[in-house]
Amino acid sequence: MSLPIPTPSPLEPLIPGLPPLPLPVLPPPLNKLVEFIATPDFIKLAVDLGLKLLLFPGLTFIMLYAMLAVWAERKLHARIHLRIGPYHVGPILGLFQLVADGIKLLGKEIITPKEAHKLGYHLAPLLIMVLSMTFLAFIPYFPIGEGRYWTIYYTEYSLLVILALTSLKPFIMILAGWASNNKYTTMGAMRAAFQLLAYEVPLMLSAASVVMLAGSFDLAKIAEAQAGMWYIVPCFLGFIVFFVATMAEICRRPLDIITAEQEIVFGPWTEYTGMEYGLIMMAEYVDVAVASFLVTMLFLGGWHGPGLHPLAWVLIKMGVMSVFFMIGRSVWPRLRIDQLLDAGWRKLIPVSLIQVVIALLLVQALKVMPA
Amino acid sequence: MPVRVAWGIQHPMSGHLTLYLDVDGDYVINTEPDVGYTHRGLEKTAEYRHFIQFVPIIERACNFDASNFALGYARAVEALMGVEVPERAKYLRVIAAELSRIMSHLYAQALLSMTGGFETMTVWSANDRELILDLLEMLTGARVTHTYIVPGGVRADLPEGFKGRSEEVLSYLERRIWDYYKMLFQNKTFQDRTMGVGVLSREEAIELGVTGPNLRASGVDFDTRRDDPYAAYDKLDFNVVVFKEGDSYTRALVRFYEIAESIKIIRQALKDLPEGPVKCKVPPALPKGEVYTRVETGRGELGIYLVGAGGNRPYRLKISAPSFRNLMGLIHLCRDVPMGDIPVIYYSFDILLLDVDR
Repeated sequence: MSLPIPTPSPLEPLIPGLPPLPLPVLPPPLNKLVEFIATPDFIKLAVDLGLKLLLFPGLTFIMLYAMLAVWAERKLHARIHLRIGPYHVGPILGLFQLVADGIKLLGKEIITPKEAHKLGYHLAPLLIMVLSMTFLAFIPYFPIGEGRYWTIYYTEYSLLVILALTSLKPFIMILAGWASNNKYTTMGAMRAAFQLLAYEVPLMLSAASVVMLAGSFDLAKIAEAQAGMWYIVPCFLGFIVFFVATMAEICRRPLDIITAEQEIVFGPWTEYTGMEYGLIMMAEYVDVAVASFLVTMLFLGGWHGPGLHPLAWVLIKMGVMSVFFMIGRSVWPRLRIDQLLDAGWRKLIPVSLIQVVIALLLVQALKVMPA
Repeated sequence: MPVRVAWGIQHPMSGHLTLYLDVDGDYVINTEPDVGYTHRGLEKTAEYRHFIQFVPIIERACNFDASNFALGYARAVEALMGVEVPERAKYLRVIAAELSRIMSHLYAQALLSMTGGFETMTVWSANDRELILDLLEMLTGARVTHTYIVPGGVRADLPEGFKGRSEEVLSYLERRIWDYYKMLFQNKTFQDRTMGVGVLSREEAIELGVTGPNLRASGVDFDTRRDDPYAAYDKLDFNVVVFKEGDSYTRALVRFYEIAESIKIIRQALKDLPEGPVKCKVPPALPKGEVYTRVETGRGELGIYLVGAGGNRPYRLKISAPSFRNLMGLIHLCRDVPMGDIPVIYYSFDILLLDVDR
């Protein structure tokens, strides 16, 4: 008995006069894919996705952002220290310091510890970078028409997807910490697990109040709902809780307990060298970008603002938020792990619950109020 | 099951001292220090040097607080010889020693803020320490190890313009330390990290032989400068800073107030500075006999036991180093504490391994 092999439908030649391309004959449903690749729709999709992946919010933007963010952080930090900061690399004021550091890291040897689990050890930095970049795919950046947004993957549940993905990060850290087979990395991995307990519930609860007000998990709808008033006004407590919980999630000082340098060297990432270390640092700054985008979309009115292009407003707001995420490092010392857990459970959760109640009352009041 | 972790040498915050920590989870059960990494045999070296040649060497026992160590050695040699140094030299010694103390305390504050990753205070303290170093360079010709105080007096008189410059620096520092107070000691997070951490009670402190600011933070009112006065300290008016709590925060606070006291002492010493020679002749050889003297350094009480045998070399020199005594307190406190408190307790004691090992 022979399987019925479908005969490919005759295709129009792409360029008239030439014989049609010899397309491979594949079983369904792959034959549909092959047919799709040959249509002009595919070219449109490829250009669209290519723009998004390579330009904004993809590689070019994130590289530029990381360069500027590292430079701005170092400069700001230095100014508070009464120092000058990076000065010599690049055209002005050491702007290309990160490029120089990156080239230096590329030239370094990638060392694998003798006792390490090779696969897990080399997988972890890649995974953390991939995870951080994945968040960027779900954020709608600005509207490009009625009901259409500039985003890589549009879904009704974008906020839910992002919040669910955040809980994956500690697992990668545990993988790195365990695979490195070092006492300090193991301690860092355990701290990552503890820190997850401290920030996850307040993060979800404070996001929940915004979701209740907007009536949607869709970041685009949440941002659209803030045309009249930014949610930072009714949800100020939620904003504070979300900010602190996000700070713990992306490991910015004073909540960088996982990688506490003075205690456990560099936490789960202690053993990494060369460009693997570069990837980890890069992922850290991508995380700052994602967190700033999220706060912008949830509390700061997204792309709404007078005069400028929506994209300009989004970038301005996320830039300001990034500075806020970075400045804590020069103003506060690091907390201890038990103090963070204490703050998470005994302070952040009650405050975010109060916020949820406020949001509920507001929603009910808006319902009964005459339009 | 506790795991033994080497918190030391190859660690961003450990300095030269290795602490072997028995860690259970994120909790330190037991601590064992591994001293000796910087042992240079200073005491034995003293037996092969002319007693004047040993002055720069003893400063290397604690190069963050050089003049106080040199003063301790000079006091022992002079006590053995029965030499009385000129009045002006005594006042100049006080100035050098107090500047050295400020330098040491600022560095301690810088390192303690570093333990929480609070780099702002680290850089501020270290920056202002530079001013003191410049002042010391003006006075002694060297920034860190001065070799200014020698048996028989001091090497040189006050340079021109020193009084004006020191007044500028001291009044700047006096304003500046209130910035420290607001930025560091009133910082809620710093208080959370240090208050109630590493509490050393009065009885424990006395029993373990802890000295200096660490002892005064535990409520023991003892300061060698006041209770066994040397140089010109008996003619100067200053307070001994004492607190009762005995935790890491208080140890830092004692140092903070001692900076203010040191500024006061330097001002008085410059004002009351008598005229006269700055050094006197000392005999070429150490007489037979033995002597034990002590001085208050930035890290605590430094005792020098000196035996002379008639030659120009000491027969035996024993340095009782303050950091070594404070290390006993550190080991006592680094038990059953969270891992995150280890660097805080360590740097709140202001222990320098150079001084422990000698």
